[in-house]
Amino acid sequence: MLSVKNLHARIGEKEILKGINLEVHAGEVHAIMGPNGSGKSTLASVLAGRSDYEVSEGSVEFFGKDLLDLSPEARAAEGLFLAFQYPVEIPGVSITNFMKSAINEIRTYRGQDPMDAVQFLKMFKEKMAYVNIDQSLLSRALNEGFSGGEKKRNEIFQMAVLEPKLAILDETDSGLDIDALRIVAEGVNKLKTPQNATILVTHYQRLLDYIIPDFVHVLYKGKIVKSGNKDLALELEERGYDWIISALD
Amino acid sequence: MLEKSLVDSIKTIDSLTQAQQLALGKFIDKGFPTSKWEEWKYASLKHLNERNWKWSPETLSVNIPKPAWKHSVIIKTLNGNTHSEGTLPQGIALLPVSEFMAQNPTFESVWKVRNPILDQNSLYDLNEALASNYAILWVKKGVKIAEPLLHHYLVSGQQDTAVQSKIFIYLEEDSEITWFEQQRSESSHAILSNYVQEIWVSKNAHLTLIKDQDLQQSITHVDHTFIFQQESSLVDAFTFSINAAYLRNNLHFYIDGPQVVSNLNGLYVPGEDQLMDTHSVVDHRMPHSESNELYKGVLMGNATGVFNGKIFVRPDAQKTNAFQSCKNVLASDRATMNTKPQLEIWADDVKCSHGTTTGQLSDEALFYMRSRGISKATAQTLLLLAFVQQVIDKLEHAEIRAELSEKIVNKIQASLGLTLL
Repeated sequence: MLSVKNLHARIGEKEILKGINLEVHAGEVHAIMGPNGSGKSTLASVLAGRSDYEVSEGSVEFFGKDLLDLSPEARAAEGLFLAFQYPVEIPGVSITNFMKSAINEIRTYRGQDPMDAVQFLKMFKEKMAYVNIDQSLLSRALNEGFSGGEKKRNEIFQMAVLEPKLAILDETDSGLDIDALRIVAEGVNKLKTPQNATILVTHYQRLLDYIIPDFVHVLYKGKIVKSGNKDLALELEERGYDWIISALD
Repeated sequence: MLEKSLVDSIKTIDSLTQAQQLALGKFIDKGFPTSKWEEWKYASLKHLNERNWKWSPETLSVNIPKPAWKHSVIIKTLNGNTHSEGTLPQGIALLPVSEFMAQNPTFESVWKVRNPILDQNSLYDLNEALASNYAILWVKKGVKIAEPLLHHYLVSGQQDTAVQSKIFIYLEEDSEITWFEQQRSESSHAILSNYVQEIWVSKNAHLTLIKDQDLQQSITHVDHTFIFQQESSLVDAFTFSINAAYLRNNLHFYIDGPQVVSNLNGLYVPGEDQLMDTHSVVDHRMPHSESNELYKGVLMGNATGVFNGKIFVRPDAQKTNAFQSCKNVLASDRATMNTKPQLEIWADDVKCSHGTTTGQLSDEALFYMRSRGISKATAQTLLLLAFVQQVIDKLEHAEIRAELSEKIVNKIQASLGLTLL
């Protein structure tokens, strides 16, 4: 579904991605690991369409469409989802209102009728129960005053509502205690189907104890320098990144 | 300076009392405010000095649909003349101020020594000179009316009509009202609407003051509201500045007793070719009182906004808490906002804070919303509406809240060409 070829991206004069190649198919879970500053979050941001980055070379196809040509909202409507490392607090906008706008704009994009309030609320409550999130969230302003764990759970909840074909989880494990991590991971696992795919961007191996990846890629200085299966993550946990880096430098 | 012909025309107005003539003399000396005057720096009315003003506006009569509230009385101020329609609730009277003063000689002596800060406010002088026969709304001791009183303020007339209006609200001890004021116009001609509102809030009284300012694009509207608060009184003031070519609010609070609470809430949403200027003064003259200011603005098109918030804490006003916040969103790269908080504190045991921000909608928030499939226009709309809602939500009366909310949402959406699905 996703085909990244020789992707280069820069912020200002600084080139951060220097030729990424990545193929993701339906049903797969990919983990992208790497030391700080290697470009992991940049890759997630570029795929989601953050305008701070300029793509200088390469291509990204998503179900055969040129992803880089689409606005962030069109990418979401095409089935891409980014769970933010730092979900943004938006005072005054309730989660219900926010998700209703999202659902209905996506439905309009896809040529479907908007969902009415009753249908929407029913679906909303089902999803909340499904990913084990408290209903008191419904009336609260988006992420406002949420704890780190609540913010991440809210991301997973939004993912459950939007049912993306490809979910990119950017450092979703950062700042989570072990219980919160387990809840988030359970949510992600429940949402996995043979038709969708997940990219986990993470610094540490511990999330991968709960969400088992099919592929592990090591990103370093803007390139994928090593790929393997879940055993690679375990090796990284044990030996760190240095043995890969020193072999390169 | 006023044009000579204008001075001549204004001098032909006869039967002015000595006090009126004095005020008129002050106005003639100063003329309309220009940008050289510090308090009118961004809101000059210099061009008004050259207009051929008609000083006597026509008499108006209009029908206004009655509100669905229990006391469906409407108080109308039409081109400066105030009267009521319907039956005023028990314990509330509307009468000429001269009659009131004759009945209340002791109050007159109190009133005469009130001491507002007028700076070079020549428009106040002009109003004092020409709006002599104004009315007073008299709320008697202990009278509490839960339902809002609707005040319909209207200006209308031919090109260059100058309308002077004034109303005085007097709340006796332990009384409580909500004054909901709709400020409107019915003219596509250039009109000067110069309005003074003076309010005396006695001990333990509670006033909710809501101003809905929605005038036409031909109107220059200046609103001077001076509120004098006595011991343990509470005032919740709301100013919603929605439309007018030029809208200036001078909102002054004079805190003359302990345990006073003054809440000032304001929202201005100027669009194309509109100027909205708020000058607030909170003058803490007595100890143990509290003031809270929350102002927000959304500036669209090539609008100009001004906020100047003065807080004075006089030497006697120990244990004062005074807070001020003014937040603005520039929703257009052609809009400008000028903010100036001004705190002058002479007492040492006080808590005061102020903060002003002016910026654009957060890119981070916009990207977050767009990444969920929400279009940029909808995301902007949601963010702007959330921004203004914080002020609107402070209104307790549900119908007024809904009415104002709809009006403000429509104005923002129309000005920016945004709509929600």
